[in-house]
Amino acid sequence: MKHLIPEFERLKTRLPPGHDATLLVPCLRRIQEDRGFIDNSDIDGLVEYLGIPRIQIEEALSFYGMLRRKPIGRWHLQVCRNVSCSMRGAERLIDQLIGKLGVQPGETTPDGRFTLSTVECLGSCGTAPVVMVNEAYHENLSAADLDALLERLD
Amino acid sequence: MTAIFINGQPVETGEHTTVLQAALANGFYIPHFCWHPALSIVGNCRVCVVEQEGRGVGIACNMPISDGMRVLTDSDPVRAQRKAMLQFILLNHPVDCGICDKAGECALQDYHYEYNGEPAISGDPKLPSTKFFPLSERILLDNERCILCSRCVRFTREISKSNVLGLEHRGDSMLVRPAEGRTLDDDPYSDNVVDICPVGALLSRSFLYQSRVWYLEPTPSVCPGCARGCTVQLWHRKAEWRVKGLDERHNTRIHRVTPLENPRVNGPWICNKGRDLPELLDRPRATQALQKGETVSLMQAIEAARGLLDQAGKRVALVSSWGSNEELRAFRNSLGDYFTSFVKPDHLPLEGEVVEDDLLIRADKNPNTRAGQDLLGAGVVQIPEDTDLILVWGEGTDFGTLPRGAKILFLGSWLLPENGHADVFIPISIQTERRGHYTNFEGVVSAFEPCQPRRDGVIDAETLFPLLSAPGGSASGGGAA
Repeated sequence: MKHLIPEFERLKTRLPPGHDATLLVPCLRRIQEDRGFIDNSDIDGLVEYLGIPRIQIEEALSFYGMLRRKPIGRWHLQVCRNVSCSMRGAERLIDQLIGKLGVQPGETTPDGRFTLSTVECLGSCGTAPVVMVNEAYHENLSAADLDALLERLD
Repeated sequence: MTAIFINGQPVETGEHTTVLQAALANGFYIPHFCWHPALSIVGNCRVCVVEQEGRGVGIACNMPISDGMRVLTDSDPVRAQRKAMLQFILLNHPVDCGICDKAGECALQDYHYEYNGEPAISGDPKLPSTKFFPLSERILLDNERCILCSRCVRFTREISKSNVLGLEHRGDSMLVRPAEGRTLDDDPYSDNVVDICPVGALLSRSFLYQSRVWYLEPTPSVCPGCARGCTVQLWHRKAEWRVKGLDERHNTRIHRVTPLENPRVNGPWICNKGRDLPELLDRPRATQALQKGETVSLMQAIEAARGLLDQAGKRVALVSSWGSNEELRAFRNSLGDYFTSFVKPDHLPLEGEVVEDDLLIRADKNPNTRAGQDLLGAGVVQIPEDTDLILVWGEGTDFGTLPRGAKILFLGSWLLPENGHADVFIPISIQTERRGHYTNFEGVVSAFEPCQPRRDGVIDAETLFPLLSAPGGSASGGGAA
């Protein structure tokens, strides 16, 4: 985390003085982007850097579902399971992925390639069902599209 | 000053206040869970709703006063909204008042009776959660009863500043939890969260299942644990509930200690040491007067003490800093001329105890050093080797450090080995057996009341001192009952 501090310092200039605690979520997101998850050492580093109590960081980490405490696979498959996607077959896609990857939502394949997650609305109801792979949206997915997609991900 | 109307009645109030504070200060009760006068406003429980005429319903705890505003605290829309909020709060609450220690002094129980009183409206079963989660050696958390008002969390952030507690997770999975690897054992003020918890979620282990609160009543007292002299309430069984089926100790013991709010001394808080006062008071008592270790009657002991006093040429008194203002004055008036007097600390900081902090705790672990020193001087204890008689009043003196040739007259309350080593030992009463005052380190005088019967065989120091100094005559006139 220490090597990101110059970036955090630049973020800090956007805030009025005395609002360092506001940086918590941006810092956590940047650390996760960098490392893939939030490590205990990152929490200790932020306690020191932002000067806020550890419990406040733990509150944020447990509140936001997208912040992770453990490493995940190379490809993070996030399947939306809210109303529009479910009506357009998201539950079938989830079953297909469970069958194909042999893991339940929240788990990572033993070879470390895939992590399967179910998530709340991705904001793309018009193109349901949607699977988000790392940072990319894959929309209007059919069962065949999903198979083809998995082929492309090594 | 600003004038507002609460339920049609004009009320004068300060400008920078809220409707809730103005209402409470003027005798209009508005129910509230999350709001606490000493903590920040979060407005998350939503039961303090009031109606501002013509402008709908809003929460009173965060509603600023404006001149001429008209507020209704108990209109139909207000009652309807409170009921809806309570239905929401009670969705997953077990309503297990029958086995809950808080029953009888629980805000949720009271409001449930007043505004709702119906079973949960949800068809789903109530969510189970953690019971008896240990937050420390002293406190248990029942997450099913918790309504997430966050008072305890704010207390550890804003008052005790230990930053131990937080609200983790979201929605109906949200839980009060300590930070990883920490417990409330780190917080010397932690027991206050049990008091400020508006429901039965935070439970004191020492009071758990000990007594129903309606069998108890509080007696105002002063904590003798340090020179702050926090005003406290000592909770003991009501006289009408002292029943033969319970042993004498259970009938008369102090069940718990809570703060008695006092803005000049301790505000609404006390430290954990104050909560442990019952342990200190439950120590075995000395009730037998002794002369060189032999049992004698109280009158014989007083006669013997007078004899020692008459024979001695050079006399030194080690005066108790746990004596009340009245006792110290009686000592000075009756015996001050006989003795060279020093006020000594009866208690020193214990190992592992917080010695001093910037909230309440003071380094001097005695309640009345200030009054003693004001009356008798603040000299450092110095006992000349040729002293003939030493009066030791109260605990904390090692007789081995006293000059060998001196006779020792010991006044104490506790059953200690040194009682028998004194030439004369006279048992005296303790704070909970008599009325009196302490002067704290800032000079604020606080009163304490008796709440336990005086043990047979002990005498009040205030009564004893005039008997010791009375020239010649018999001491039998004293109130030695």
